[in-house]
Amino acid sequence: MKPTAVTRALLLGYGILVLAILYLPIVAVGFASVSKARYLTFPIRRYAFDWYGEAIASPTVSDLLATSLRVAAIVTVISMVAGFFGALAYARYQWRYRRLFQKLILLPIFFPQTVLGLALLIWFNAIGVTPTWKTAVIAHLVWIGPIATLVIAIRAYSFDPALEEAARDMGCTTWSVMREVTIPLLMPGVISAGLFAFLLSWGNFPLSLFTTGADSTLPEWLYAKMVSGYSPLVPTVGMLSVAASALLLAIGLTLPALLRLLRGQTTD
Amino acid sequence: MRPNVLEASAPAAIKAPARTILTIAGLEKTFDDFTALHGIDLHVQDGEFLTIVGPSGSGKTTLIRLLVGMETPTSGSIWLRDQRIDELPPNKRPTCMVFQSLALFPHRTVGENIEFPLKIRGTPAAERKARALELLTLLRLPPDYYSKRIQQCSGGERQRVALARALAFDPEILFFDEPLSALDYRLRKTLEKELKDLHARTGKTFIYITHSLEEAMVMSDRIAIMRAGRFEQIATPDEIYARPVSRFVAGFMGEVNLFDVTADGTDMAGSGLVIRPGLAAETGLKGPGTLVVRPEAVRFLDFGEAADFQIQGVLHAEYALGSRLQYEIDLADDRKGTVEVLREQRITGKPGTDVRLGWDLSSCHLIKGA
Repeated sequence: MKPTAVTRALLLGYGILVLAILYLPIVAVGFASVSKARYLTFPIRRYAFDWYGEAIASPTVSDLLATSLRVAAIVTVISMVAGFFGALAYARYQWRYRRLFQKLILLPIFFPQTVLGLALLIWFNAIGVTPTWKTAVIAHLVWIGPIATLVIAIRAYSFDPALEEAARDMGCTTWSVMREVTIPLLMPGVISAGLFAFLLSWGNFPLSLFTTGADSTLPEWLYAKMVSGYSPLVPTVGMLSVAASALLLAIGLTLPALLRLLRGQTTD
Repeated sequence: MRPNVLEASAPAAIKAPARTILTIAGLEKTFDDFTALHGIDLHVQDGEFLTIVGPSGSGKTTLIRLLVGMETPTSGSIWLRDQRIDELPPNKRPTCMVFQSLALFPHRTVGENIEFPLKIRGTPAAERKARALELLTLLRLPPDYYSKRIQQCSGGERQRVALARALAFDPEILFFDEPLSALDYRLRKTLEKELKDLHARTGKTFIYITHSLEEAMVMSDRIAIMRAGRFEQIATPDEIYARPVSRFVAGFMGEVNLFDVTADGTDMAGSGLVIRPGLAAETGLKGPGTLVVRPEAVRFLDFGEAADFQIQGVLHAEYALGSRLQYEIDLADDRKGTVEVLREQRITGKPGTDVRLGWDLSSCHLIKGA
């Protein structure tokens, strides 16, 4: 059935509306970062890109970037590895407490992040750990680890258990079944989980706020600057942060094609 | 890679003729409170095509999983020639299985799938490729399929790739777990014949499981019929067709007419049946029995024509089965009878006509006992 012209026009209008609601605020931040004026007003009278130069040169900003990047990178790697094995336990193998595990793993995701952050802070204090960016890594993992596990588990559900049995039947040891079948088949899920983990950690505010202690991540700094000491450096750093996420996403999306290209070259 | 020899040789009691490749002795498997296999015994000859047939829940899947090593038996043993293999993990057994889902690796090409067992064994790449191409030819797949993706292959082609991969392993015994069940009827018929042909050309031992006795008939040297964790009958297809040992086996092969009879030594009687006097003496039947009558053994009797067994009925419907016609007959006590004749022998009666059916002792089979 083909939609009529009216339906098509309505659908198109609806689509544009949704995209506008999603993206206009980000565009507004972009404008704010290139405005000469201290506060954003429309129309913008004079454009200036000085703040970008300043942001890149600023040692504060590079410190923030380094902290955020370090936290996100560590969270990503651990989430991918733990998520991989977690997904096997969640979706592939039959074991005694599997159903309980499936429920417990979901719990941190449903916990409000501010409450989770507070709980972790109290816990760190109770066991005598001084909060730094390292405790933030743990806090992020409590929330992001389960998400990564679920992302990979979706992939693990869709693959035929007979594939592993067949590999074993044809002479594979437990390790070579992993290497030849399980890992390659779950790889797309592991990569998506890694992307998710990075972006969620990179942009996380509530957990970081409670658990970084004296250290500060980008979102925390942005918030602090909003509360006191606003300058166009805030939207500028915000835009740089968005750009970094977008770059990572682009790499993530083109990675499968790149891998295929590489593999094609090695087999020929 | 050869499996370890766990014991010097099979116990003399279960040792069978020299050409036995597989021996199953007292194999039992229980899951919690359910017994899937009740201590079964079986000998398979080298180069034989044996099909294990049974309805779902009969234990045939459990049996094949035990044979390839994906389950461990509760008791009993499995011997490959003189090696005990039931305690070896699947990757140490020189056997290979074609799975119901085929289990082709979706992230590998057709060629890589076929080469997989060779790769695991550490065969050099050039040798692997040569063997894969050889197997593509053997299975009548064009050589350019080597670099195709699995997703680009049709159902029948995937079957052939799965077979090629199993043959690349060069197993002592090739197991099949209903690999044709997901295919449409015509393709299945073609592949059944191809499989039989492949068996003849490779000379390997094939052990095939299916729920379709019809499929088993086409391909097998011998058929083992399973019921509730035991073998009901193990015999050649001809033997099973002509002389089923039980109602279960008789009823397994599609449409068949079954009649309960009893005999006192000289005469035989059965509900609605007119039986030639003195017949019981010829069969030696004393007590209850079951008469197995194939639809094609039954004929419509003309007025005054006689047969060893006769029964009265009403024509219900006529169905065309290609070269044959099938008639469904309403018998007394709400029972149905089935008659099959060649097209040339079409009868003129309309549904509702009274008919008289007949067959002779020589064209039916009598199962003695209740």
